[in-house]
Parts: sequence; C-alpha cells; structure tokens
Amino acid sequence: MKVLVVDDFSTMRRIIKNLLRDLGFTNISEADDGSTALPMLKDGSFDFVVTDWNMPGMQGIDLLRAIRADAKLSHIPVLMVTAEAKKEQIVMAAQAGVNGYIVKPFTAGTLNTKLDKIFERLG
Amino acid sequence: MSKNTSVHVSLEQAKLLVEYIETDQQDKADELIAEIQNPINTELFAEIGKLTRQLHDSLNNFQVDSRLSDLATGDIPDAKERLNFVIERTEEAANKTMDAVESIFPVVDSIQEQIGTVKPLWHKLMHNDLDIGEFKALCKDIDLLLKTTDKETNKIHSLMTDVLMAQDFQDITGQVIRKVIDLVREVEDNLINMLTAFGLSSEEEKPKYATKVGENLVEGPIMNSESRSDVVSDQDDVDDLLSSLGF
Repeated sequence: MKVLVVDDFSTMRRIIKNLLRDLGFTNISEADDGSTALPMLKDGSFDFVVTDWNMPGMQGIDLLRAIRADAKLSHIPVLMVTAEAKKEQIVMAAQAGVNGYIVKPFTAGTLNTKLDKIFERLG
Repeated sequence: MSKNTSVHVSLEQAKLLVEYIETDQQDKADELIAEIQNPINTELFAEIGKLTRQLHDSLNNFQVDSRLSDLATGDIPDAKERLNFVIERTEEAANKTMDAVESIFPVVDSIQEQIGTVKPLWHKLMHNDLDIGEFKALCKDIDLLLKTTDKETNKIHSLMTDVLMAQDFQDITGQVIRKVIDLVREVEDNLINMLTAFGLSSEEEKPKYATKVGENLVEGPIMNSESRSDVVSDQDDVDDLLSSLGF
C-alpha cells in the first residue's frame, strides 16, 4: 500500500512515517504542502493520504477538495492529522469528504484506531 | 472673541467697523462683519488650532521617545530572530531524538528476533522434552543471545542518553521565549500609552474573540480550549462531533 504523508514540518512527517512503518506501511512518500502533493498523487498510484490542514501554499482542506474533485483520485481515502480544532473546520472537512480526522497532539493508538476504522469501512 | 457669542454686535466692534469704513479698509470691514455674523467659526478655528498644537506636540514627543524607535528597528527584528532560533532548536532536538529512537528500533528488533529463535527449544527444555543435540543447539543460541543483548543494551543505553541530552533545548528556548514575552509586554504598554495620549480608552472595545468562518479559519493550536465553545478539546470531542454528523 502506497501512502503519501503531507505536512509542512519535516519532524511531523517523520513521526507519522515512523508510526505508519510500525503499523506495517513501508511504502511512504512525503510532500510539504498541497501543491507538491497533488502532482505526486496524479503521477503515482497512491492508496492513502495523510495530510495536515495548515500549510503554506495549498492547504490540506483544499488538497482534500482537489482529490475529491478529480475522478482519478476521488477514491483515495484521506486522513487529516491537524492542530486545527474548530468545530466548523471539522464539519467542513467532513462535508469535503474526509475519511478521518485526528487532532494534534495525538497518540500512536489514535492513529492505529483511525486507520483500522477507515480500512474496515472501505472493506 | 468668544465673549461675542451672547451679544450680536459689541460697541467696540461697531466702532472698529466705522473706523475700517472711514479709512477705506473694505477687506477688514468685511472680515469683521463675517466674524460678527459667525462667531462659532472663530471658536472652531481656535479649537482646531489647539488640537493642531497638541498633535504637533504629541508627534514631537514620539520622535523624542527613542525607546519606541528602538523597539521598532532593533528589538522587534531581534525578537523575530530569537523566535526563529527557537524553531531551529526545537526542530534540531526533535530530529536528534528521532535519530536516536530510529536507531533503537532495529536493535530491539534484532534482540526480539533472537529471543524468537531461542523460544521453541527453551519451551521444550522447560517441559523436559529436550534431547542432547537440541540442548547443545539451545546453549549456542542462548550464548549468542546473551552476547547480543549485552552489546546492544550498551548501545541502547548510549542512545537513550542522546535522547535525554536532546531535551536541553527546553531550558534555552524557555529563556529566549521569556525575553520575547517581556518585549511583547513592553510594546503593549507603549501602545496603551499611545492610545491614552490620543484620548482613546483601551477599555472601550473588547476584542471580539470568535473568528468567523472564512476570514481567519486556520488558527493553529488552541491554547484556551476550555474557555471556548467553538473548538473541540480532544480527540473524543472530534469523534463525537463526527458521529453526530453520521460518520
């Protein structure tokens, strides 16, 4: 399974990569914002996206909308991992078609549970 | 001149007017009549004059107050540098810690793997089910396990010390941030003084806290989630909200 981790902070990408590796995801790529992520998604056959919300350039919510608007990408599950904690933002992400929403700071357990839930739903 | 407001024309003014007309000073006569007709204007001018002087003095005072310009040209750029330093140091510490942890993972994995090798024969031994050949093999495996564990735990120990030492950023960045907080406080005091100098009360209008959708949606980490109703305070809140939306 090919995963793309999108976050502007390299340390956060590294943390998420380590956690994902622990959960058995070994094919992981990184992007530092939506505008770098989108062409990568269009080129490669990614199966899963983990993205931050607040990034310079293209933000996570816009990346999510772009993924959902693109017929070739719209099936890819997107998990948002972000410090953005306003209710209206969570509602907004849900309406945009997010598959999971994790607020930072988070634990390895939370990530594990959310991933299980997402893939369980997708069957 | 303001005495004239209650009286339409004073004797002095009348005399002056006659004098102007007699001496053929039509301009001055007209001016005087305008002044008599509209005494408020002169008051207004006087008031504007007073305000202008005040403004002029205030502006001069600001120029004299070199602390303000020091703040703007020196301290604030310096504070930006300090905060960048904090970002760099915390990033460095995070990376140092992750370097150490990432090198510990394979070490632990290799020990676990060797334990896995020893386990079946060990299990047999514990159940008195081991033949002599297997016993020899077990001894060899255990010997290897002891040697590996000995060597690798030393390595883990030194890596853990690296993790420990990487936390020294907290002390340094804490001091730097405290200095920046002092600066922010000083700027705040100066701004309040400025408002007071211009006769504006800082109490008049409390900032409207809640930001609206769209205008400043992205807010970053919330510091005071307990006192706000528009934010979630933890993952459980997120999950509840999402499930209420049918997720």
